[in-house]
Amino acid sequence: MLLGAMATIADSLPRNRHAAPEEAPRDEVAKPVQSLTALLKESVAGPVDPVLAAIIIALIGFGVVMVYSASAIEATVRYKDAQFFLKKQSIYAAAALFVMWISSRIDYRRLRPFTYPILIGVAVMLLLTVVGLGHKAGNAYRWLNLGPINVQPAEVAKLGVVVWLAYSLSKKADQIKSFSIGFLPHLLVVGVLMLLCLKQPDFGSAVVLLFLTFTLLFVAGARVPYIAAFTMLMGVAAVGLVRFSKYRYDRYLAWENMEANRNDLAYQPFQSVMSFGSGGIDGLGVGRGLQVLYLPEAHTDFISAIIGEELGFIGILCLCGVYLVIVARGVKIAWNAPDDYGSFLAFGISTLFGVQALTNLCVAMAILPTKGLTLPFLSYGGSSLVVNAAAVGILLNISRPRLPRELPEKNVKAKLPSASAVVATSAEEGQW
Amino acid sequence: MKNLDPNRAKWIKIRMGILCGLMATGLGTVVSGAYNIQVEDGDQWLDLAERQRQRRLHVQPKRGTIYDRNGAPLAESVEVPSVSADAVEMLRGVEEKYVAAALLRNSERIAEALHLSMEEVHEKLSRRRRFVWLKRRVSDQEVTAIRALGDKAQRYPIRGITIEGEGHRFYPNRELAGPVLGFVSPDGEGREGLELSLEHELKGHASELRGLRDRSGRLIFSDGVDDEQALAGHNVYLTIDKAIQFTAERELDAALKTYEAVGGSVIVVDPSNGEILAMASGPGYNPNDYGAADPGNRRNRAIVDRFEPGSTMKVFTMAGALANRAISPTQPIYCEEGNMAIDNIVIHDTHISKWLSPTQILTVSSNIGAAKIALSMGEEKLYETFRRFGFGDATGVPFPGETIGVLRPAKRPWVQVETAAAAFGQGISVSALQLVMAMSAVANNGRLLEPVLVKRTTDATGQPLVESSPRVRRDAVGAHTAKLVSEMLVSVTEGEGTGVEAAIPGFRVAGKTATAQKIDPATGKYTDTHYVASFVGFVPAEKPRIVIAVVLDEPMGGTYAGGSVAGPVFRRVGEMALRYLGVMPKGTEPVKLSELSQIARTGADQATNAYQVMAEQKALTQAVVTPSAPLKGGEVRLPDFQGFPIREAIKSAKALGLLPQLEGTGRVTRQEPPAGAVLPKGATVKLIFEPPA
Repeated sequence: MLLGAMATIADSLPRNRHAAPEEAPRDEVAKPVQSLTALLKESVAGPVDPVLAAIIIALIGFGVVMVYSASAIEATVRYKDAQFFLKKQSIYAAAALFVMWISSRIDYRRLRPFTYPILIGVAVMLLLTVVGLGHKAGNAYRWLNLGPINVQPAEVAKLGVVVWLAYSLSKKADQIKSFSIGFLPHLLVVGVLMLLCLKQPDFGSAVVLLFLTFTLLFVAGARVPYIAAFTMLMGVAAVGLVRFSKYRYDRYLAWENMEANRNDLAYQPFQSVMSFGSGGIDGLGVGRGLQVLYLPEAHTDFISAIIGEELGFIGILCLCGVYLVIVARGVKIAWNAPDDYGSFLAFGISTLFGVQALTNLCVAMAILPTKGLTLPFLSYGGSSLVVNAAAVGILLNISRPRLPRELPEKNVKAKLPSASAVVATSAEEGQW
Repeated sequence: MKNLDPNRAKWIKIRMGILCGLMATGLGTVVSGAYNIQVEDGDQWLDLAERQRQRRLHVQPKRGTIYDRNGAPLAESVEVPSVSADAVEMLRGVEEKYVAAALLRNSERIAEALHLSMEEVHEKLSRRRRFVWLKRRVSDQEVTAIRALGDKAQRYPIRGITIEGEGHRFYPNRELAGPVLGFVSPDGEGREGLELSLEHELKGHASELRGLRDRSGRLIFSDGVDDEQALAGHNVYLTIDKAIQFTAERELDAALKTYEAVGGSVIVVDPSNGEILAMASGPGYNPNDYGAADPGNRRNRAIVDRFEPGSTMKVFTMAGALANRAISPTQPIYCEEGNMAIDNIVIHDTHISKWLSPTQILTVSSNIGAAKIALSMGEEKLYETFRRFGFGDATGVPFPGETIGVLRPAKRPWVQVETAAAAFGQGISVSALQLVMAMSAVANNGRLLEPVLVKRTTDATGQPLVESSPRVRRDAVGAHTAKLVSEMLVSVTEGEGTGVEAAIPGFRVAGKTATAQKIDPATGKYTDTHYVASFVGFVPAEKPRIVIAVVLDEPMGGTYAGGSVAGPVFRRVGEMALRYLGVMPKGTEPVKLSELSQIARTGADQATNAYQVMAEQKALTQAVVTPSAPLKGGEVRLPDFQGFPIREAIKSAKALGLLPQLEGTGRVTRQEPPAGAVLPKGATVKLIFEPPA
């Protein structure tokens, strides 16, 4: 799905473009290009953030290893093939790296015209999932069957919302402070998507969508009282949602009193904590974990528990460090982005990674009740991996040094930047 | 953000910083959570996880097989599927308000598949345990039905049901040796008989099993326990011989039916090593279906029951007196013409005599004679003799619930009348096993052995572990005395003896009959209607190969004397066992077939009278009837046996090369085939005896 979207973007990009970004058309679709390669070559501005790129690639590779370790037994029992999930995850990882490479080479500003198509596409997919075309797994309809592949629309929705919010917030600029223009419309649109998520049911994704919205509204400068009031309102709504849904309330109670419910409703979090605990300080070693025998969904939502068991506290500490670096690099890119659109986009994507990783780890350690969120780049699953890779690609693209906007205004000849110019730009930006 | 005014851009960055701080707090929570779980409580969690995966294992090692002495299986374990349920797993993910409905629905479907009552299944599942047996030993159809219930393809699969192989004890020979073998409970524990006493050998080592199991209960073995045979129980080879056991049981059952006795036992022992070749207890039961059997019939009467032995004790009284030189072997004893009073008690003899030699005292079974011998020997010596023969002691057989009998019921030395009574086996009680082992001592030159029931033990791969060897308990009497008594006992089965019906043609049988009065539990006095009839003896007397004890409790219907009730059982079992063991009768040197028919023809030529009763005649060939057709070689014409006493009938039939099959006692009244029929040598002739009117 996302690949398709990317191809569409590529097809619709202008044939000739200059390095100066503001010359790109803002809201209209340009003439299609003849070849994707030509475009890719043209759209490259400067080198991407090498630290971020290296860490992400390493993390995806590590994820493939951990998925194998966590899924071998399950795969043997269910498919008589210990490498079943390993093979699939390897294909997903290759696809993800490809998507990441492509999206890092497409100028992020070219995304603008596709904001609404993406948003509407996401909404339609969520709707289709909810109205009954969804594919059931567990007791939720979270997958949409698109020919040979199953897509998890909620994963796409997260990125879609970030893209849309960045676009909308940067466009509205100072009007952001008004309630009816800057605040309510965003909340309404995201509210619709949240309702569709809740219907699946996918409480976790709904919460992540809301969190992303508030984060970006806050960053863009929406009035804090509005956000605070709505946060409280949503908090009350969430409590009500949990309290008056038997399914969620039972899970909550079971999580509250895990020891007593360790054999039924709290089985999964209890086993997950047991996995973490079994690891001790230095872990049992990769492939030596035995909790995979007991922990359901060990290779998807609870892969962090297996990492905790096999690599111990040291492994978890390193993992936290890795996510810290990813978010930190992301925020740095947001700070240094050429424009507010790129900045919001970069910060939204960083937050997306950070929040998902934190929530997933908290759930696996039973600090939070079970949500059903993946661990970015590590958990088994194509949708999550490819979408996150696309997001990283965008982030990497934003990180590319570009000619400063001021240069054409100062009548500097529009030409490809020399290395010294890039250094100068970076130095100039560093002053901010 | 060079498109924005610097102030706004600055604030955007500040707000980003604030949010980063929030996320950093979240990260701090995660790290401290991980520290608590992994570093602080890590050991406890690891311990918990290990206990979880090394939980209770239901794998039972295979129980060892019990074989007879020749390797024929008597009790073996077969894998039979059993169905268990994990109620927690079954109800996982079911909301509490639907649990009751789910339980009912599942119970109904399971009950239908397993042919159980729904209430029973529901009650088991309602306890919501992680493990409960639903049904043990299920049929193939039931396995299929249960598999179908758990099939994930259907709409409502039932989870948490496990089918696993469980060892089930199977007794291929049904009733054979049932009371000896005992049985095993459904949990795999020996409950009675050898299954109980050999539990340690048979059971195997369940505790050594260490394994991993996953959440659905699949067992994954870890360290080197793939060798299941190392865990399996040992195989046990008994000294019991299936063929002799079968004959003993068949004859015992026939006697129990014929004489309407309430119970009985037959033991066959090899006197040279104490090995028990057969041990029958009747009526028996089928251990495959022990639940349906009368618990009284499950006990092994030969070891567990004690009874007043009666006259068989005279053998040991006599042996003791001879060993202690209280009497000489030829010393005549005055037998008071059938009545002797001691302390107001009158002892009677059935056979009224004046002077009897020690041999004659045994032959006619004189109570008075035995009493006098005992009194001349003294209480202490008699008691000691009995103890030396193993009475009042455990025999050492590995069997649960063995009785040691009672020699001194009042727990003090016998008074005179008690000594007299003990001499002929009244007022004391013994077990059939003690009796047969004591008689074995007489047969074995006075040496008392421990009975051996387990010949050898091997591990599951057949590697021998323990081999039994004869164990001498003591020399009860000297070899000379034992020989002397043996010779005396031969006279019991000859001529005027009480045990002539125990005689086996071609062999000299040493033995002693007993017809002991029982005490009526209601009155505490001896009755005239309830007896224990027994015969204990060995054969051949000069070089004993087998010792047989036959005990019948309360034979009814007029015939109750040990000689006529237990004697024939001894004869039939002994005859079969000797033939089976390849012991040749005396005087049956191999004769050429042609010579045999020659003899028959000569005899036929000489005979003139077709209906000749030959009660006194020893020349057997003359008993043959007139010929009507020439006989081919190897054929004989059947004579008329009408009116023959048992021994003569047997002798004449054997002389013709025919195998007599005897029924009843007395003289021949009918025969099958009828007289004059031409039979090949070696054919069976059925002779029916009836007591003379």
